[in-house]
Amino acid sequence: MMKQLSQRLFGPLTLVAMGVTLVLGLWVVPPDQVQGELARLVYIHPSVAWVALYVSFGTAAIASALYLWKRTRSDVMDRVANCAMEVSVVFIALTLITGSIWGRPAWGVWWVWDARLTSSAILGVLALGYLALRRANDDVQLRARRSAVFAVLVAINVPIIHFSVQWWKTLHQGATVFNSNRHLLIHGLQAWTLLISFIAFTMLFFWLLRYRYRLEVQRENLAGASVEEALSARRREGAQS
Amino acid sequence: MFFQSGGEDDVSVTDAPNGLSPVAPPATKKRNRRRSIGVVAVLLLAIVALLSQGVFHSLNFFETVDQVLAKRATFGTQTMHLEGVVKPGSIVRTSSGASFYVTGSKGEVFVTSKGTPPQLFQDNIPVVVVGSFTTKTSMNFAGTQIMVKHTASYIAKNPKRVKASNGSVR
Repeated sequence: MMKQLSQRLFGPLTLVAMGVTLVLGLWVVPPDQVQGELARLVYIHPSVAWVALYVSFGTAAIASALYLWKRTRSDVMDRVANCAMEVSVVFIALTLITGSIWGRPAWGVWWVWDARLTSSAILGVLALGYLALRRANDDVQLRARRSAVFAVLVAINVPIIHFSVQWWKTLHQGATVFNSNRHLLIHGLQAWTLLISFIAFTMLFFWLLRYRYRLEVQRENLAGASVEEALSARRREGAQS
Repeated sequence: MFFQSGGEDDVSVTDAPNGLSPVAPPATKKRNRRRSIGVVAVLLLAIVALLSQGVFHSLNFFETVDQVLAKRATFGTQTMHLEGVVKPGSIVRTSSGASFYVTGSKGEVFVTSKGTPPQLFQDNIPVVVVGSFTTKTSMNFAGTQIMVKHTASYIAKNPKRVKASNGSVR
């Protein structure tokens, strides 16, 4: 009962969280002292990047690791990894697009090849590679195993992206929240709006994942039904001849 | 007819006169391996292409004013990315761009840059200037592009905010 209620409420709650982020970010929070109105992108870009890197890619990598571990191996893990990676591709693309939109007026350029931006672009290529690898394998077990190994191996790029602004000199700013000295560089209403945006986009990810997973189950059921139907039709053909 | 696997070249199907003979499983293992290797090869090429755009040359996007001043001779007149903070009051807008000083903790470099500076270009803001020194020993830097490197700090504009005794406005 409670589970059903929470499942039903999750979508509307996500919508409310997104709406609150939008209203606070666009109208309520004052502009920034240095960046002025441009700083309003701080309520979108970092949250989208958070979901792209840690939540969605992380979910795909963890589900893949759980698939590779014999005790937790199941089709569910393979499906979660696949669906999370598909959603991750969308969020990585959004991260790169919103970053470019912010970069043009703030930095003066749409794109630079610094360590943060390059490693983020590589993550996008790797996520697309994961999906390509899945489609390259017809055998279900082989596909699950190969893609799981691939996801776990390429997840090494996530900490590289995270620490790139500390390890190397980049045009991209350093971390405002998750920095090495644990010193928050944003305060008051700006910080609260940022927190709400992180929650809202995380909820959006899980909402999308849930529906993508459901779609995948239905697709598999349909494929299974097609095989059954094909077998029945073949049996009928045999009986007639 | 229901067991065809998409008409691939290496899929073998036993001839079945009556259509009921057992059908040989398609030779998917070899094809899967070939496709997987193909995907990984394309991925590697794409990653190398991305890295070759700059990170292969140097993982660091710029050299700071202090680094350049410490090893001025090694940079000569080569094209580089110079980073420093715009010295307050030094900006002079010209018809072709702007001139200003970028400072580090150990000195400063005079920059003359062509082109329109970015929207956030102002006093006291960190910038990265693409360009080169005019001569091998000169401290005048001829820039072709200015990029603003804003900090990770965010402070809301609030004219009614009270300043603390230590100067903090947060």
